[in-house]
Amino acid sequence: MSDFFAARLQMALTLGTHIIFACFGIGLPLLLIFVEWRFLKTGDELWRTLGKRWSKTFGVLFAVGAVSGTVLSFELGLLWPEFMGTFGAVIGLPFVLEGFAFFLEAIFVGIYLYTWDRLPPRVHWFTAFPIALSGLAGGTFVVAANAWMNVPSGFKLNKDGRVVDADPMTALFNAGMPAQAAHMIVAALMVTGFMVAAYYAFETIKGRNSEYNRRALAMGLGMGIIAAMLQGPVGHEAGHMVAKYQPIKLAAMEGHFKTTDWAPLRIGGIPNMETRETTMAIEIPGGLSMIAFNDPTATVRGLDEFPDENLPPVAVVHFAFQAMVGIGTMLMGLGLWTLWRLWKKKPMEDNRWLLWAIVAAGPLSIVALEAGWIVTEVGRQPWIVHGVMRTSDAVTEAPGVVPLFIVTVAIYAGLVVGTVVTLQILSRIPMPEPSHDA
Amino acid sequence: MTPELIVCGILLVAITLYAILGGADFGAGVWEFNTAMRSSKKERDLLYRAIGPVWEVNHVWLIFAIVLMFSAFPVVFAALSRALWIPLLLALLGIFARSVGFAFRAYAAGAVRQQAIFGAVFAFASTSTPFFFGACAGAIAGGLDVDVNGKFHGDYLTGWITPLSVFCSFYAVGLCSYISALFMSCEAMADNDAELTAVWRRRALTMGVILGAFSTVGLGIVAKYAPELWTGFLSKSLPLVAISTATGLISMLCVWKARYQFAAGAAALTVACVILGWGVAQYPWIVPPAIDVQSAKGPDSVLWAMIIVIAAGAVVLGPALGWLFYLFKGQHPNNSKAAATLNQNTTTNASQ
Repeated sequence: MSDFFAARLQMALTLGTHIIFACFGIGLPLLLIFVEWRFLKTGDELWRTLGKRWSKTFGVLFAVGAVSGTVLSFELGLLWPEFMGTFGAVIGLPFVLEGFAFFLEAIFVGIYLYTWDRLPPRVHWFTAFPIALSGLAGGTFVVAANAWMNVPSGFKLNKDGRVVDADPMTALFNAGMPAQAAHMIVAALMVTGFMVAAYYAFETIKGRNSEYNRRALAMGLGMGIIAAMLQGPVGHEAGHMVAKYQPIKLAAMEGHFKTTDWAPLRIGGIPNMETRETTMAIEIPGGLSMIAFNDPTATVRGLDEFPDENLPPVAVVHFAFQAMVGIGTMLMGLGLWTLWRLWKKKPMEDNRWLLWAIVAAGPLSIVALEAGWIVTEVGRQPWIVHGVMRTSDAVTEAPGVVPLFIVTVAIYAGLVVGTVVTLQILSRIPMPEPSHDA
Repeated sequence: MTPELIVCGILLVAITLYAILGGADFGAGVWEFNTAMRSSKKERDLLYRAIGPVWEVNHVWLIFAIVLMFSAFPVVFAALSRALWIPLLLALLGIFARSVGFAFRAYAAGAVRQQAIFGAVFAFASTSTPFFFGACAGAIAGGLDVDVNGKFHGDYLTGWITPLSVFCSFYAVGLCSYISALFMSCEAMADNDAELTAVWRRRALTMGVILGAFSTVGLGIVAKYAPELWTGFLSKSLPLVAISTATGLISMLCVWKARYQFAAGAAALTVACVILGWGVAQYPWIVPPAIDVQSAKGPDSVLWAMIIVIAAGAVVLGPALGWLFYLFKGQHPNNSKAAATLNQNTTTNASQ
């Protein structure tokens, strides 16, 4: 393994792990606000119990998310010094803003977690709002910086390759930012919702069918389904953005080699770099043109239009895109299934198939999240800043990146195990005395 | 005033606050490490309770400083990332293990074995983190083999090991444990616990004496291995050096007289003057001997945008921080009980 490849894997591993925890940092505060609001509204202690127990789960995930994010801020420089040394100032503003969001979040997480029994209930509820807002804002700002790497703007380079003129607002509100940020935040809500639902669906299957369990399942599933439905149009917008600004990435996503009008949407299929075609795919004529430009006759540029040295690994991007869209569609289907049962007024816990499907939806939503991240990151290769700086020119010259990666794999495995063990310990804390299993 | 100077100032403030507040949290772990985790349950409870609600916030000062540095002085970030490859990775490992160890320990209440493991990770990493950050600071102060474009020409594995960096690594650990002992004395006092107050007072006095001796040795090392910095200390920074010495002695005196809050305040001032004095002494160099403020700064448009954002953000952040510290560190009647609720196994607590 080359040091360069190890550096990319290192970034993929640490970012791919952080992104999961970050999703809960965005999604859980919204659930907590809702749950505590129900308590204030109804005075039903069970809502408060739910909020208190979830807030501990949130505390663990927030701490892990914060520290895995810290790792990334160091790695930006340690692994990609040339990138940060050249463009640090251009993408600085979103990171400074993110720093503020994180600050606010950490302050109110400290207050929120430790004052359940101390502040008046309404004031305590209020302290969750800055957490939720800064979670959403922080996610948006970080994704803005990533979107800038996809659609760079707002700077000028001199002949030495140094940034001489920068417009931080243009860089922050780059053309890729709105669609990509929305896509990410909705994904975060999907992951949070379906993971919460999966846990309680599994508990239900094991026979723990309390009122507590039912409400928790409904909360998670509700959030997951709403987000899954939203993700359709939001993802479609993100597709437009890619079609417009990163035609190579779009072509790789679809395994689309030859420029044509009536470009087909391919379901499945294996891109073959030798024969320059994608075989064994189900093709829907005009589908890709429709997705990219809302017009089935539109011309979609193929991979053959671009020099080989500028192509990303087509197969990886294509498979990841298929996985993301496939799972997203299944999760929408799960949503329709659930809504249909609700409409028929059939209780959820009677249908084992549905419960198992919800259990599967949790991990699958994470697979879709990671697949989407692979599409945007691997699809941008060989560039770290699309069309401006190659990833191989940005990487550190330092020795020992391969051993570093191996050690990091071990540490992150420990992190995931430790997180699961701690969450298990939390889940075994007995419920408060008065029984709510009415 | 030029924007780059304003940002330099903000950067120094962020580093100082991290050194004082984050340093105190690390120091608490250093004491756990020093005492081989043989502290009594009462002592340990107070320690974890003291940092519980605030350590995450104190940690953000570091993130803030990093982000400021790479936004305003990108070349410096690139240069340090290369030249301090090993100590930064080790410091990062420490930050990671400390945070994870603390969080898991806090939430694994009741699971004795897991808590012991996470506690040990926390104690060890709390010591190694300031150690390697100290090494970074010392290596920078002594000068790094970098050029104005942020490229590094020294040895990645050993280039950071200099007499000054070795000294600073131990000094940073000492400083953290001293500040921590002062803050813990305050906490024990607020808890009306005479026994623990005495324990922390003794620790503060011991550490203070050691640090005093250390500082004297340190000046000698600076004079020998960083002559330019030494000249700066004797000229531009002389007032700051004098104030830091005076406040350091005053803080010891206050500990002796059992005025712990004054002691902590004076020690905080000492740390601030040491860091500010270092900055002033090596100005205009950010990374001596090659990178100065002018050649490293980003475009003015970016710097001004950052300053405006920071000023606006401070309006929101200031009161929020104030409330946090009022709730958990102020003279609040419920303070002694408040944080304990998190670690309780049942939710049937009624402190209000």
